Amino acid sequence: MREMLKMIIVLTALCSFSGGLLAALRNETMEKIENQQLEFVKGPAIRNILKGSANDPIADRFKIKDGETEKSFFVGKFDGKAETVVFESTGKGFGGDIGLMVGVNVADDKIVGVGVTTHSETPGIGSRAQTDPRFAAQFKGLSLTGDFKVKNDGGQVDAISGATVTSKGIAVAVTEAAKTYTSLKPQLAEKLKGFK
Amino acid sequence: MAKSVTQEFTKGLWAEIPPFRLVLGLCPVLAVTKSVENAIGMGVAVIFVLVGSNVLVSMLRKIIPSKVRIACFIIVVATFVTVVELLMQAYTYPLFLKLGIFIPLIVVNCILLGRAEAFAYKNGIISSFADGLGLGIGFTMSLTALAAIREVFGSGTFYGNQVFGPDFQPFNFMVEAPGAFVCLGLMLCVMNSIGKK
Amino acid sequence: MSDRKKLIVSHAPFLHCGSKISTRSYHIMIAALPAVLHGFYLYGIPAVGVVALSISSAIIWEYLINRLTGKPTTIGDGNAALIGMMLAMLFPATTPWWAVITGTFVAMVVGKHIYGGIGGNPFNPALIGIAILTLSWKNIFNIDYALLNYDFGFQAAYPLAALKHGGPAAVDSFNLFSLFIGQQTGSIGSAFGLALLFGGIYLIIMGFIRWEIPVSFLAGLLITSLLFHLSDSARFAGPVFHLLTGNTLLGAFFLATEDSSSPVNFVPMLIYGAGAGVMIILIRNIGGHVDGAVFAILLMNLANPLLDKIRPKALGKVGSHA
Repeated sequence: MREMLKMIIVLTALCSFSGGLLAALRNETMEKIENQQLEFVKGPAIRNILKGSANDPIADRFKIKDGETEKSFFVGKFDGKAETVVFESTGKGFGGDIGLMVGVNVADDKIVGVGVTTHSETPGIGSRAQTDPRFAAQFKGLSLTGDFKVKNDGGQVDAISGATVTSKGIAVAVTEAAKTYTSLKPQLAEKLKGFK
Repeated sequence: MAKSVTQEFTKGLWAEIPPFRLVLGLCPVLAVTKSVENAIGMGVAVIFVLVGSNVLVSMLRKIIPSKVRIACFIIVVATFVTVVELLMQAYTYPLFLKLGIFIPLIVVNCILLGRAEAFAYKNGIISSFADGLGLGIGFTMSLTALAAIREVFGSGTFYGNQVFGPDFQPFNFMVEAPGAFVCLGLMLCVMNSIGKK
Repeated sequence: MSDRKKLIVSHAPFLHCGSKISTRSYHIMIAALPAVLHGFYLYGIPAVGVVALSISSAIIWEYLINRLTGKPTTIGDGNAALIGMMLAMLFPATTPWWAVITGTFVAMVVGKHIYGGIGGNPFNPALIGIAILTLSWKNIFNIDYALLNYDFGFQAAYPLAALKHGGPAAVDSFNLFSLFIGQQTGSIGSAFGLALLFGGIYLIIMGFIRWEIPVSFLAGLLITSLLFHLSDSARFAGPVFHLLTGNTLLGAFFLATEDSSSPVNFVPMLIYGAGAGVMIILIRNIGGHVDGAVFAILLMNLANPLLDKIRPKALGKVGSHA
């Protein structure tokens, strides 16, 4: 009986100590990790979209509540005006969710650029959505409203040859981005005023 | 009978060098030795976890009941591994991206549990520390040696720097999975033939 | 009692029957020589260099391993030279020196000596060498790419690559007879079908290889390619084309018949050969590689221990396997 009790006490103590330590450490490093993730996973796509901006878009970010979730928006300043925001949206690809950064100019609702952040598409086929600049470039200048579809489905997006599912996933991600953008635009405009 | 602390330390560097002599912890040896950078990162993570868990287990060896010792070891090891994972994410994110799943997998690395069970649970804090440090450094050395061979021939680089000049066509086989097995086998073979003399 | 056949084993000393490893090795090399000479004729000095370097480096690796492991020196038995020659026959003539030396290293060390040397290798060492190199340096072993600077005076496209990329229509222009007499590009020793055929028949007559493997190999290949061809002749080339191109004949007579990696009994030999033949066509017609001979034979090498389980009933065994 005594041995049993000892086992229970030792294990409980060890577990709670370990749990407490890890929780504390996690709290401590959470912000740091988020910054690192932004820098190395999403950073390249964001910086690519906002090439030539006067500020650091990753430092100048804010969050807006979209229903249940919080969305991060990254601001780019061009010619002294903070009118461009980049935010992430997802669509279902061939190998899982595709994360897509969509940059939009709030003044005229036009897309300034898109870039794939995280994906698990087939290397060399679906992954070209991330590496081939021509695919991303076709979104530039389109209005961020309504539905986006690949040409096979009667839409306006040129699919990557051999990677239709991936291309469809990205079209869905842009459509989602359009929905988010339309519903959050008033709040966005409000926040952006703060940067001027 | 008790060996000196120095002996506990140096045995990990040669006589009981983990992957080659103990043939333990082969999963990371095969998986992360594509480049020297990865190997050293992995090695440092293992040193930290091994030293930490050895010391902690040794400290607690009087109060851990032997019936639940394995569970306790796992908790200790898992805690340290998670600490390493969080720290890596916070400070060396690119390395974390490369090592990926193999950092959490240190938990199930036999070296850690093996040392906790076979050494730290029976020995004092200082010898456990020396044992963990020695084996950890030995593990790192073996990883680096294997990674150096694979990276130099497989990618033509060493720690990311070109070795053979631009005309070199890398021997891709070496950085593929089968190459890892063949290299490891050849190294074991060499180590054994040296040991026999 | 007296009319029953008996096996009588007398006491030592025994008489050596004269069958030696070196005899085997040199006869196989002689049988392969015409095809190699044709390779010299087609590709000139570079081919001579590749073959010479391959054979010599294979012998040097063997010698080094012998020294390292403290075993008696076995370069005299010709097996190393044979492996070097077989590997050279699979190389394109333009293979750079370092690839040749790496190839012989892989063949001799990883393919042969790791498994305990001659007689212990589960795979054909030369095939291990070429397979690993092909996967590492695709461009060097892409025949069309490798032989870009040659002018042959006949159709210089690698027939199997043309088939893979253009379908049977692209290979209609190949004359089957000129393919057979060696008017095609390929690796050094694979082009001259006639010579390979004669070499193989010579080896069978001399008793160095058994007829079952090449015959079932070619039968498997012909039947499978015929079935493919009949099902859709617009997509799959005919059987004779497959027979005469790529490493088919080299594989059937010289590579698949390697001693320790092929089966020893009648039925297993038939299955082994036929399996490799079928596999070649599957790889060529459906798979991603241009020529499947190397991988097909390696796969069947892998199945060899399993095939060797099919063996004749032991004589004189009584009772059931309770």
